[in-house]
This record gives sequence, structure tokens and C-alpha cells, in this order.
Amino acid sequence: MGVLDWIESTRLAIWMQESPSLLAFPTILTLHTTGMALLVGASWILDMRLLGINRNVPLSYYRWVFPVVGFGLIVNVTTGVMLFFKNAATWGTSIPFFIKMCLVVASAATIVPMRSYVVHGDRDQTVAVGKIRLLAIASILTWSGAVTAGRLLAYIM
Amino acid sequence: MLVNPAHLHLLLNHVPTVGSVVALGLLLLALVRRDEALKHAGLEVLFAIAVLTLPVYTSGVAAFMEIRNRPDISDQAMRIHQDAALAGFIATELAGFIAWVALWQTRRRGDAAPGVVPATIVMLALALAITGRAANVGGDIRHPEIRPDLQASETAASADQYVAGSISHVMVNSTWVWPLSETIHFLGLSLSFGVLLAVNLRILGVMKQFAFSDVHRLLPWGMLGFGVNLITGMLFFVGQPGQYAASSPFFWKVVFLMIAGANFLYLTVARHLWVDSGLESSPGDKAMAASSIAAWLAVLYAGRMLPFIGNAF
Repeated sequence: MGVLDWIESTRLAIWMQESPSLLAFPTILTLHTTGMALLVGASWILDMRLLGINRNVPLSYYRWVFPVVGFGLIVNVTTGVMLFFKNAATWGTSIPFFIKMCLVVASAATIVPMRSYVVHGDRDQTVAVGKIRLLAIASILTWSGAVTAGRLLAYIM
Repeated sequence: MLVNPAHLHLLLNHVPTVGSVVALGLLLLALVRRDEALKHAGLEVLFAIAVLTLPVYTSGVAAFMEIRNRPDISDQAMRIHQDAALAGFIATELAGFIAWVALWQTRRRGDAAPGVVPATIVMLALALAITGRAANVGGDIRHPEIRPDLQASETAASADQYVAGSISHVMVNSTWVWPLSETIHFLGLSLSFGVLLAVNLRILGVMKQFAFSDVHRLLPWGMLGFGVNLITGMLFFVGQPGQYAASSPFFWKVVFLMIAGANFLYLTVARHLWVDSGLESSPGDKAMAASSIAAWLAVLYAGRMLPFIGNAF
């Protein structure tokens, strides 16, 4: 308990809780949504390719997805930590929040093997096979779950 | 708010009816003359009308909010008009959507699939009939002398008797419909944003290995995300119109949606965007792509800031 209470009393947490500025909580929340759109949107474009949409396009052409996903992740980890600071004592002990974190980690984890498949694989590959298709399906489902959990946190907390 | 919503509504409210007549005329003339260019023009006009019908509906609700308490205006007449307008809005959006499918297919294969253009014409004729009725009952609001049977506002009818009122009742009273719609709205946002990002980044020169035709193939997925968000967004708006009607971020959200809609039409139909892999787009197209990404970011920003700017929420 001590640590969570301490987090909530830091200057950052108090700024997030009390600042009337539109640049405080509202903008941090909006940046979190923008990061989500970049991260999830770009991931889904790659997932769609792995599931057969644009199968004539070589996989290596989809490298652009990873910097976008990486940028979105950096934005959302940063803003996510700031949003957590605001309500650390409640969220730090909440099961829905824990579920969201697990889904985010699982989603982000699917990126790693997909990246090595796309970046280090055979440049002329056009057909994605078995395991990588499963991974794409897992990516779509875990990101959908993470977005759903994140959105519902606002209603159940 | 920049403008008086009632004035804005009076300014815009002839767009769906007059515009649909023009689009229908162009499409029928194209059919008779077998003229592809006319057909294309008719479909493009229809898409633009569908985009512009959104502020016609939302400004109408804003006008309703503003003048509903005036004793000389019948609440019942406005609610009858609102239901007719909602039906007209849905029919016009469906017609605009089918027109978009026809435009997308025409760009890819030189022609729309069999039946798509006739389906557009049928849907448009239906939309015109429904919108015409909405316009007609809308006229009753300021001309009560021609409808003595309408109740004056002192005996305002129960909102739940009307379609818009029933939707609002469900949206406000159900514990799970609103959060579920918000969740779907965020998933749709991610999908359409991902597609728009891919298409516009290609034009800006990222991943030049792609032929433009291959990113153009993704556009229907962007349209799917947008369609889902139009439906869920309208559920919010019809559900709690008071939150949005007088809200300045909502006003700007609709303005940027118009810009984004124009961009989307350009991305769908523009011929010279179709560069082969490895080639650069023109500077003008790059500016268009940058403005498209900026418009979607602005839509997202205005939407997410709705609860924080202005005091409507």
C-alpha cells in the first residue's frame, strides 16, 4: 500500500489530479488515445497482411509498421504511467486494471516474433504460413481486448 | 460556437434534398446516354451529399435544443421532423456508402460490379423520398398555420413516443449499451486510422516499394471502421443530444470530418495518385496526404476533448 500512496502524492500525480489546464489530464488522455490509434491501427494493417489481404505484396514492404508501432508504444507507456500516477492507489489494486496490463503486454509481445519474421525472413516471401497466421489472429484479439479493457476501465472504476 | 445553429440549419437544410435531386438526375442521364463521366460525377456528388448530411442533422438537433422552449413553436412538430430527418439521414448515408463502393470498384477495374450502380440509384430515390418528407414536416415547424392539428409546446408530447426519443431512452438508461458503443467506437477508430495512415504515408513517400494500387485495396477496411464509428457516434449523439449540440469541440469535430471526407473521396478516385512502386507522388498529393492525417488527428482530438472543452458535459 505504501508505495501506491506515495505515487499518488508525487508532484506529477498531484498535477494530473488537480491542474485545471487542458494540457494536464485531458491532453495526456488524448495523447494516450492517439498512441492507441497508431499502435493498434498499424499492428492491424500487418495482421491483415499476414492473414492474406494484399498477399501479392512482399512481407518486407511492411517494415514501416514497426517504427509506427514503436512510436505508439513509447507514447502510450509514457502517458499510461502518468495516468496511472493519477489514480495509483485505486488502480494498483484493481483486477480490471491488472487484466488490461496483461492484455497490453501480450499484444506487445506478439510484435517481437512478427518483426523478426518480416524483417529477417526471406525477402521474396509472399505466403504467410501456419504459426505466423495464428500469431496475427492473437495480435488482433489481444489488441481488441486491451482496447476494450482500457475503455471499460472508465466505467467500472 | 461560431454560428447560430438554427441559422446554420436553415443554411444547410436544402443540401440533402436539392443535392440528391442533382445526383439522381446525373445518374439517370448517365444511364440514358451511357456516359461514364456523367455516372462518375453523379456518384461523386452523392458521396459529397452524404458527407454534408451529417451537419444538416446535427445542426437541426442543435436548433431544436435552442428554440424548444419558445411558446410559439410546437414541440410535437419538431419531434416529428426529427424522426423523419433521422430516417432520411440513414437512407442518405446508405446511398452514399453504395456510391462509394461503386467509385472504389470503378477506380480499380474500370467499372463497378453489376448491380452496384442500379442499387445506388434505387437507394438514392428512396433516400430522396424520405428526406423530402423530412423537409416537408420541417416546414410545419415555422408554419403552424398550415397544421392546426399540431399541439403547441405547452402540451409537449412524451419524447419516448418518437424514434429518436426511444433511442435516447435506451442509450441513457441501459448500463452497458453506452460503454459497449464507446468500446466499438475506439476499435473502429483504430481500424480506420491504421488504414488512413498506410495510404497517406505511401503518398508521403514512406514504403515507396508499394504500388499505390496495393494501399488503395485497404480503403474498404478504413470505410468499415468509419461506418462502425458513424453508427456508434450517432447513437451517442441521438442518445444525449444536449451534450453535443452546443459543444464547440463537437462543432469542430464535424468540420474536420467534412475535410476528412473530402480527402477520402480524393484518395478513392484520384487517377494520378496511382503511381507504381518506387515512384514519388506529386507535391500537391503529398500536401493532401499530410492534410488528411492532420484532419483525422483533429477529429480524434476534438472527440476525445469533448468532455473537457466547453461546459456541455
